[in-house]
Amino acid sequence: MRLLKARPSTLLMAAAVLVGVGYVYTMNRGLGPYNQANMTTFLVVGISLGGIYAISALGLVVTYSTTGIFNFAHGSIGAFLAFAYWELRVHRHWPAPFALIAVIFVLAPLLGVALDKLLMRRLRNAPLVVQLMVTVGLMLSFMGITLTIWKPGKVGGRALPHFFESSKGVAIGDITATWHRIITVAVALLIALVLRTVLYRTRTGIAMRAVVDNRNLAGLNGVRPDVVSGASWALGCMTAGIAGILIAPETGMVVENLTLLVVIAFAAAAIAQLKSLPWAFAGGMIIGLTRAFTGQFLKFGTNFSYAPDAIPAIILFVAVIFLPQARLETGSIRLTKRTERLTSPKEAIGAAAFMVGLVVVWANGWIPWFGGTHFGRRGPVWLGNGAGFLCLALVMLSLVPLIGWAGQVSFANFAIAGFGAAMYTHFGGQDGRPIGILWVILVCAPLGVVVALPALRLKGLYLALATMAFAELADKILFRHPKIISNTKSGSFYKPLVIFGIKMSSDEHDRRAFVIFLAIAFGLLFVLLELLRNTRWARRWIAMSDSPAASATIGVNLLWAKVAVFALSGAIAGFAGAMYGLQQSALRVDSFPLFLGLPLVLLLAVQGVRFPVAAFMGAIGLASFPALQQIFKNHGLLNDLFGSGWLTSVALIGPGIAAITMAFRPDGAVFYAGRDLAALLPWRRDAREEKALFVARQREQDIGRDEIGELGLVRPFTDDNVAQLDRRLRIADELAGHAPVSNNRVHEEVLRAPVVS
Amino acid sequence: MPLLSAENITVQFGGLRANSDVNVHCEPGQITGLIGPNGAGKTTLFNVITGLQPPTRGRVVLDGVDITNKTPTKRARMGIARTFQKLEAFSNLSARDNVLVAAESRKSWDRSGFNPGRVATEMLERVGISSVANFMVGTLPTGTARLVELARALATNPRILLLDEPSSGLNEEETESMASLLRELIRDGLGVLLVEHDMAFVMSTCHFIHVLDFGQLIATGSAAEVQSNKAVQAAYLGAAAEEGAA
Repeated sequence: MRLLKARPSTLLMAAAVLVGVGYVYTMNRGLGPYNQANMTTFLVVGISLGGIYAISALGLVVTYSTTGIFNFAHGSIGAFLAFAYWELRVHRHWPAPFALIAVIFVLAPLLGVALDKLLMRRLRNAPLVVQLMVTVGLMLSFMGITLTIWKPGKVGGRALPHFFESSKGVAIGDITATWHRIITVAVALLIALVLRTVLYRTRTGIAMRAVVDNRNLAGLNGVRPDVVSGASWALGCMTAGIAGILIAPETGMVVENLTLLVVIAFAAAAIAQLKSLPWAFAGGMIIGLTRAFTGQFLKFGTNFSYAPDAIPAIILFVAVIFLPQARLETGSIRLTKRTERLTSPKEAIGAAAFMVGLVVVWANGWIPWFGGTHFGRRGPVWLGNGAGFLCLALVMLSLVPLIGWAGQVSFANFAIAGFGAAMYTHFGGQDGRPIGILWVILVCAPLGVVVALPALRLKGLYLALATMAFAELADKILFRHPKIISNTKSGSFYKPLVIFGIKMSSDEHDRRAFVIFLAIAFGLLFVLLELLRNTRWARRWIAMSDSPAASATIGVNLLWAKVAVFALSGAIAGFAGAMYGLQQSALRVDSFPLFLGLPLVLLLAVQGVRFPVAAFMGAIGLASFPALQQIFKNHGLLNDLFGSGWLTSVALIGPGIAAITMAFRPDGAVFYAGRDLAALLPWRRDAREEKALFVARQREQDIGRDEIGELGLVRPFTDDNVAQLDRRLRIADELAGHAPVSNNRVHEEVLRAPVVS
Repeated sequence: MPLLSAENITVQFGGLRANSDVNVHCEPGQITGLIGPNGAGKTTLFNVITGLQPPTRGRVVLDGVDITNKTPTKRARMGIARTFQKLEAFSNLSARDNVLVAAESRKSWDRSGFNPGRVATEMLERVGISSVANFMVGTLPTGTARLVELARALATNPRILLLDEPSSGLNEEETESMASLLRELIRDGLGVLLVEHDMAFVMSTCHFIHVLDFGQLIATGSAAEVQSNKAVQAAYLGAAAEEGAA
């Protein structure tokens, strides 16, 4: 019945997805026969896969629903723990029970508690953008750490055995269900039952749920929110570890594969609307069965050989489409205590000229002392690299209005860039006509909107999930289709782009012109965005991001505001992609993986996602990785530490750890640097006062947090605590304009720490 | 015919009835008060009127037009503006930009050729916060940020203004100037509906008062009528007694 009541646009979207899925399915080469053996295999494989997915999804839902933080690192933590288990079980020959206890019941909970204590508590009241960046940073960090400790060797060099590999298993008809599979299903059911019982039948569980509803109220009623969130992170890590250990024998010990388990967990969690445990379990089963069905009965042609890998992403999309419209919520606004001076047009042009100048000077080799060292030496290699980084800077620039202003966290822009690159090979790129770029922009702008369409009416977290799924989908289906990108080893080719008779391409002779052209393009777009920041569009986006409810009540059409910002962002990303393709000289099917796009978002966020200049700084950050490699090429220490392929690990750990620091300094490096540098200028007294004020406020907050800690009746209050509380109450009094403070108002001011929803 | 009427509004949250068959109306050129103890359902009713909360039953009528199924955006364009009990100011924008966003938004339905920038300046002046125009709202004291919200609401040129605890966070002097501002605003036919805990403020400014308790309308009338109402006294004294015990 609810289906019939769904809005027409929802049904339309659903129909479109069905047509897409149907098309892919009809492209398969013949069906497997539906005999009993096949059906049994399908069920056995499907249910056991589903069990693993369910475990992972259950953990994700429990952590989210008890702490309000969605853990993007769930998969990579699982990967890390699976590798730890391999270390003990296989490498050090521990018996399985000891290894399991050590990993699941010792290491995983310790990891969870540590994460909670060091990071997650700081994120409670942080904006969604910061929460997402920190957990995605954590995801990349754990991938990098795992790659560092367990260096990838030869293929198949490392394998985790199935449980009870030597015994035969149970015969079901003609099929033998291995003990590993049976254990998997049993463990999944057990975990589901335990979690359900813990959350609904025990004191701790009820406390956990109470904390989600109102953390301070729960605190006053004797719950210790810190203990509760520690417990739920521990639980989350344990389930991640179990899922990782169970699935590793199936996927192989490959960090990327194990990490991508999280996309499947997302899909199951989205089916559960991020809160229902039974539905999370069911979601896991649905995905497991779908995958097994596809594996058993459908054989895809080479055009869609990777289609089965995209199933979770498709299911996530469908789940998101059918989610009920998010209500415009009030009361969750977070006041940022900082000021910001807008850049004047003159300053914007000056900054752009400076950046372009920098690139021109470098590209022409006008700084002799730069040529002598390894760092950024202007040889042909670095001119090529420079062009690449400027293209990535353009991708990052496309995220500034989207994430920084409108607060729409999208991980799809690198995939859109990929689409732009692929399109450019068909329109204009193959003969170097600049008009092709225009076509790319015109197509990528609406594409940006289409990608976000399922999530436009939902709250921000779903957008992040859906866009990450799209990036995965694009990598697995779109870019692997030979009509889109040639699947030959050399890929699709570009001819040099010719503008005003100047040739630009990855060719050694065209590189200098290309770098300068890209710098100018970046400079122009930079000025455009800085000017845009001062118009009604950017104001509207920021307003929408700060309070959607208030925006609606002053007559802002939220849908159109979102469509506009996605279109702008898509257009810039498409252009960036076309240029990136040209810089790569040939486009291969695997040029745009999800894990290459994520660091872009993170590095931009670390620099300060609200500031266009952060895109330039972010590109310099990216450039520092190969620069490091060049400097330390023959350095023994790094090789010993990270292995000869250390750049991969560092390129993941670097942005990852940088993003994690956002938990401590959420506004981004550009903001802090700008403020501190401005304070050094003799004529900027305002900046100095500003900074003093900010530092004082920060100290106030930090002292308050450390000395008072969590409120709660069960804890002993020392005299210091009481003194602190008194002090803070007077602050509340002052905030309230010296009006007589009612109990109510004190609660509002002092205890107001909205729970993320 | 009243400018705004909420008719037989019922809002059910699971087992809790936040509003139960509530009827509230508001006349142009008048200040109408909506009072009641905490949890009486006042803010819920505001959310129903502005479209943030769909009612389980009942309808909302603006100037004879049923707007129950209209989105918050449409309602704003039809002339309903509000402030919030818990701050919903745009904290990453300056005070002036907060108001400017509203004035610019009004451009999409009001073709009278006004200048949004001038409107913003005017409204800031009107509520008396021109001096902090360029401060980010996040850095302002709560009371001042509330005034920013008021200026923002006024910038949409509403026919009816809903204020959720306008005097909260203001000192005595500021509360007095708020009262005189409201009296000035209604002179041009604007209707004001306000939720307020400051009884002195309510009794001295409101022409007509609705009293809610536990989601139900228990009294309506002028300030004097409401004050002498037995049910109202019981509701407030009862609430006070409970508060004392807690």
